[in-house]
Amino acid sequence: MQSNIKYSAARIARLGRKGCDTMESLGRAGIFLAQSAVGVPSREGWSLWLRQMHFVGVLSLAIVLVSGLFIGMVLALQGYTILVDFGAEQALGQMVALSLLRELAPVVAALLFAGRAGSALTAEIGLMKATEQLTSMEMIGVDPLRRVVAPRLWAGFVSLPILTIGFSVVGIWGGYLVGVEWLGVFEGSYWSNMQASVSFINDIGNGIIKSLVFALVVTWIAVFQGYDLVPTSEGISRATTRTVVYSSLAVLGLDFVLTAVMFGGL
Amino acid sequence: MFDNISKTLFFKTLRYACNQCYVCRNKTTMKVIQPMTDVPFIEIEDLYFSRGDHEIFRGINMTIPRGKVTAIMGPSGTGKTTLLKLIGGQLTPDRGRVRIDGQDVHRLSRKALFTLRKRMGMLFQSGALFSDLDVYENVAFPLRVHTNLPDPMVRDLVMLKLQAVGLRGARNLSPAELSGGMARRVALARAVALDPELILYDEPFVGQDPISMGVLVQLIKRLNQALALTSVIVSHDIKETLSIADYLYLIADGQVVAYGTPHTLDANQDPRVSQFIHGEPDGPVPFHYPAETFYRDILGQASAVKAR
Repeated sequence: MQSNIKYSAARIARLGRKGCDTMESLGRAGIFLAQSAVGVPSREGWSLWLRQMHFVGVLSLAIVLVSGLFIGMVLALQGYTILVDFGAEQALGQMVALSLLRELAPVVAALLFAGRAGSALTAEIGLMKATEQLTSMEMIGVDPLRRVVAPRLWAGFVSLPILTIGFSVVGIWGGYLVGVEWLGVFEGSYWSNMQASVSFINDIGNGIIKSLVFALVVTWIAVFQGYDLVPTSEGISRATTRTVVYSSLAVLGLDFVLTAVMFGGL
Repeated sequence: MFDNISKTLFFKTLRYACNQCYVCRNKTTMKVIQPMTDVPFIEIEDLYFSRGDHEIFRGINMTIPRGKVTAIMGPSGTGKTTLLKLIGGQLTPDRGRVRIDGQDVHRLSRKALFTLRKRMGMLFQSGALFSDLDVYENVAFPLRVHTNLPDPMVRDLVMLKLQAVGLRGARNLSPAELSGGMARRVALARAVALDPELILYDEPFVGQDPISMGVLVQLIKRLNQALALTSVIVSHDIKETLSIADYLYLIADGQVVAYGTPHTLDANQDPRVSQFIHGEPDGPVPFHYPAETFYRDILGQASAVKAR
């Protein structure tokens, strides 16, 4: 009996400690974000930022655009087989555009971005930490938060929304290829139905707001995991995994919340 | 036109390079600036530090004089590198304080701490060169971020520093192409790029072949004399360290167990000191990690039966 009580008490204590650790690491992540994101970039900061835009944004372009093309094509194919039963295949353009702009482009682009760029950011910063580059930068009198983390954070924050727009554009074009060119939907109704039903503020605007939120969360998780990891090879591999897992879950969870607020009338 | 730091830097480096150059060095005697008395530069008072439940330091007191080479020695795992990080303000002690040139390192604001660090250089065990920059840019890095010197002058300064470590020809290599010894020499050039007043060396001799070891020992000694630096060397390579150190501190069990000049330490009778200085495998610092008795571990129950 007594040992049972002791056992449960130990479990409760463990749970409590885990809770405290989680809150503490959330607090650390918050301070980290505030310290690295705030501040006016110098002229050199701009060039560092541009370089990171290349690594984080431009190099992710291929994977994001190709995925967008295929997702648009699949959407058109699936949508057509359902819509044609109701004789409503004229609405294909509307369906493809709304699904992409509101949901698929922000979410899928963010997931791809987490896998392609987020994991690379974590591994890069983690390796810099493991090889004492961050420490030596501090000892030279340069704040690594400003020099290493800030350009990467801002590059991710700016590039993901642009990638998301590219994803939507290519996706809509992919839908056109399959729906109009292949399945024979009337071209005029594909585009005009889309034009009539897509609202710039409600659909495109909300999609971009979503992708801004995802960009912040994914990049924040990636750079923080890199900066906060245990500097061993095992620590780096764990942190890279955590980046992808946490970002994916955060993106999908936040997507529900944002959708509920934007379109669910909450 | 230039800020003060840039101006003094340029002239100091010129003078230094003149002392370094092999042509001159053989003809003229090197001008060595020796302070008359030992003025403390770093003062460590009653320092306590622990990681988790593990107490690393239990009341360390140290005075590191200006313009001298002071070595901090001790067995592996005594926290020598941790002590350097405490001096550099990267770790915060549980108790006690570290003062550099009168400033309490751990009471400074982040900005003031970074300003203080411009006066320090640190040589890391791994070199810690920035992997995305080549050798030239690595050495130029402190100059670029802390001065507003025009590019041609930065180039000249970098060349002088690289000349001093004998790697002017390696300026275009990336850190991945360097051997361990070369990487450490580049790191040394980077550490002295701003002509600091203090250099902290973390295990500078580990993993060096005899030639680069000799080069490093000479470099550290010459740098210290030519620039009137204060040097702190953390090491457990006794022979090399004794050959260049003016003062020695020996730490073990989280405390300073001995200090003095290399000569006085050599004659020290304390078993902990003599075990370390003479490299005896067993003594107050045990050879074996704590374990139950060997008999019991090998024979298990049988040893207990026999004992009965």
